Amino acid sequence: MKKNKGAKYFRLILAMLIPIVGAMPLAASKADAQQSLDTVLSEVAGFRAEMWYLPDEELLGFVEIPAGTFLMGSNPLIDPMAFENERWSEGRRQGIVDLPTYYISRYEVTIAQFKAFADATGYRVNPMALQGPLNHPVANVSWTDAIAYARWLEARLKESAQTPAPLQRLLNNGWRVSIPNEAQWEKAARGSEGRLYPWGNQPNRDKANYSGSGTRAVGSYACPECQYGLHDMSGNVWEWTRSPYQPLPFDPSDDRSNLAEDALWVMRGGSFNDAENNARTAVRGAADPGARRPFIGFRLVISSI
Amino acid sequence: MLSATGKPRSQGQDKNKNTAGAPQSEQPQVLTSKQLLFVPSLFTLAFFLLSFLPRVQGNEILVRSFWAATAVLVVWQIFMILQCRRTGETKSFILAKPRPQHYIQAMVHLSVYTYWGWYWPPVQEHALLLVAQLLFAYAFDMLMAWSRRDSYLLGFGPFPIIFSTNLFLWFRDDWFYLQFLMIAVGFMGKEFVRWKRDGKSTHIFNPSAFTLGLFSLILIFTNTTDFTWGPQIASTLSLAPGIYTYLFLGGLVVMYFFSITLVAASAAAVLFGLSALYYAVTGVPYFLDSEIPTAVFLGLHLLVTDPSTSPRTPPGRLVFGILYGLGVFALYTILSAFGAPTFYDKLLCVPLLNLSVQWIDRAVQSLRDNSTLDRMGLGVVPSRRANLAHMAVWIVFFATMTLIGKTDGKHIGDSLPFWELACQEGRPTACDRLLLLQSTYCSDNSGWACNELGAHYASGRIIPADPDRALTYFARACELRFQAGCVNLLDPSTISRTEPRVFDLRLLLRQGGQNLMDMPESELYARACEHEWAFACSNIVSTL
Repeated sequence: MKKNKGAKYFRLILAMLIPIVGAMPLAASKADAQQSLDTVLSEVAGFRAEMWYLPDEELLGFVEIPAGTFLMGSNPLIDPMAFENERWSEGRRQGIVDLPTYYISRYEVTIAQFKAFADATGYRVNPMALQGPLNHPVANVSWTDAIAYARWLEARLKESAQTPAPLQRLLNNGWRVSIPNEAQWEKAARGSEGRLYPWGNQPNRDKANYSGSGTRAVGSYACPECQYGLHDMSGNVWEWTRSPYQPLPFDPSDDRSNLAEDALWVMRGGSFNDAENNARTAVRGAADPGARRPFIGFRLVISSI
Repeated sequence: MLSATGKPRSQGQDKNKNTAGAPQSEQPQVLTSKQLLFVPSLFTLAFFLLSFLPRVQGNEILVRSFWAATAVLVVWQIFMILQCRRTGETKSFILAKPRPQHYIQAMVHLSVYTYWGWYWPPVQEHALLLVAQLLFAYAFDMLMAWSRRDSYLLGFGPFPIIFSTNLFLWFRDDWFYLQFLMIAVGFMGKEFVRWKRDGKSTHIFNPSAFTLGLFSLILIFTNTTDFTWGPQIASTLSLAPGIYTYLFLGGLVVMYFFSITLVAASAAAVLFGLSALYYAVTGVPYFLDSEIPTAVFLGLHLLVTDPSTSPRTPPGRLVFGILYGLGVFALYTILSAFGAPTFYDKLLCVPLLNLSVQWIDRAVQSLRDNSTLDRMGLGVVPSRRANLAHMAVWIVFFATMTLIGKTDGKHIGDSLPFWELACQEGRPTACDRLLLLQSTYCSDNSGWACNELGAHYASGRIIPADPDRALTYFARACELRFQAGCVNLLDPSTISRTEPRVFDLRLLLRQGGQNLMDMPESELYARACEHEWAFACSNIVSTL
């Protein structure tokens, strides 16, 4: 009889404990979930979730670069840090390039944007590419990943009713979403005045994320001096271009020459991991198109190529 | 206490009738003792100890496979020892005279491993696992025999079963537990799937062919061929120079001792004949890289020729060989049509043929007293002299085929440009073969091959257009640093194609797995020129 009574009390205590113990981790996980939701929301503030996390701007973050000429390449007399591969030709240090109007994205492509692509398509990405705060530039992406993302986004923008009319018009007229070629990138970075850095001719660590320890959220560095209002054209991550690596002068029509050579594609702008010499607007890096590195990302362009 | 007697114990005598095929005239020595029960433990212990060698320790799953197999054997032994103690039973070994079909076959198998392994290192790495399988097989076979009767026929029987199984298929280290299962199934097939033949109980299926056939079906239907080394085994035999001649000479030994000349020779003749006919009609070879694939040539000498599971009469053997040749020929196309690996062709038809041997032997009885057949040595009564005559004909036939370059000589199907041209000309299956070859080379990391595949899918000329797949191949080509792949990825509306790079040639000219990575460029171009790459012929001079 006593034994039965003891068992009854034991069961009662257990019954009381179960909801308390059960609720504890639940409460903790609710708090965690709220916190993580808040973090995510803060990371994607300023970006439109329904538009694949493109910037909440009139042209979804695409900035017009007006038609006109600019000075490409480096003059070592003005820029002592210039590398040999920035020389225009045997006879000339720099060249003048005339480009038609194009649109380039204000920010580097973010992890949120690339994740939207990966989730929608099942595209196989390096898992490292999707790690980190959502508003940081995506890295660990190859040149082919960048092209795949651009192709996907173009199709989405074409079919979406929410795509701003000017963009929709451009795309309907045969303009393409891609990654910039070298000249498009360099003009957008240095402007029409031939600057060594996007903000001027002197290095300035307050203007860009270089000589640092890791990526920063895109647009973290204000650059009112930058001619076209673009962010992170210096530093944060190197940016893929759609130009094969070959000696200047730049010629957009010679992409299909030297097909017998092993492929190397130009990347621009330096990264958090580089010193000021690689953060210059004329620097020409190159990488294997399959390379996925924590310091290489990309940005987009819409042009009539 | 071990006792040796000249006769089997009376208790086990009736059950011993089921012992596989010991000749009536043998006077086997019988060892009987309670301690014999521990003999499987010795094999198991040796098997277990092998798991501590570096070859096995290098892969955790392989180690666990060994330990799992050991556990099965140990539990089975404990169960048997306890049962024998309870019932007072003892078990015995029958020490039969070594049977030539075991040790001669095993020696021929071993010689093939030695020669092939000299040129393909994975065979050397597999040697320890062969020993392990032998130990496992002996322990398993003993336990299975003693579970069903009192005696075990101790001899070389497991050797040819293990060796011939592994000559055609073995599992990768990560899946090696399936290898032990495959071996176990082979022995179970021999033990349980039996029939009366000529008044004696005997196994229906060639044990290795039975388990190979069964596992081949499973691997095909589950699309898990990549668990095995099967495709590599089938293609790397040809790395050994003069392999056809080597197999032919080894085959002569088997033919001499076991009178299976008619089986092997008729199968080979059918395959040579059908291949030649196909080429004459279509202008392309039937088999991709040879008149008879080397692994098939091996199979028709050492897999289908088990005397216990093939017909007894010469005309029966002739029919058996012809059916094997026809079966392989047909299966090659059937497997291709289903997108399955074609190397299974030589394995799948053997069990079916094993099932037909009694029917074949009965059918040819109607040819008894046919004097024409008797004169050709094809009478129903086998004769040693007739076998020698058949061997002579086979030697002349093989020599002729060799002289006209149909065995070890260079084969036209080895050349990718040949298939490109044949595809352009619209020859049967040529475009499918071209795609198959390019797909294989793309998987081997040839950027050129990936770009070619992308171009085919983009243009839709030889295969229905599939833009998404084209982009996937272009991206792969690009990541393999093939520049044309990158520009095609940028703009698939204008397809760029170019010749293979040196690196691509090192992959495209491997012919079954030769390592050409260190070959000087001049030699590589010379080799490419031999394989009809026109651009390579002009590059030879520039690299000298």
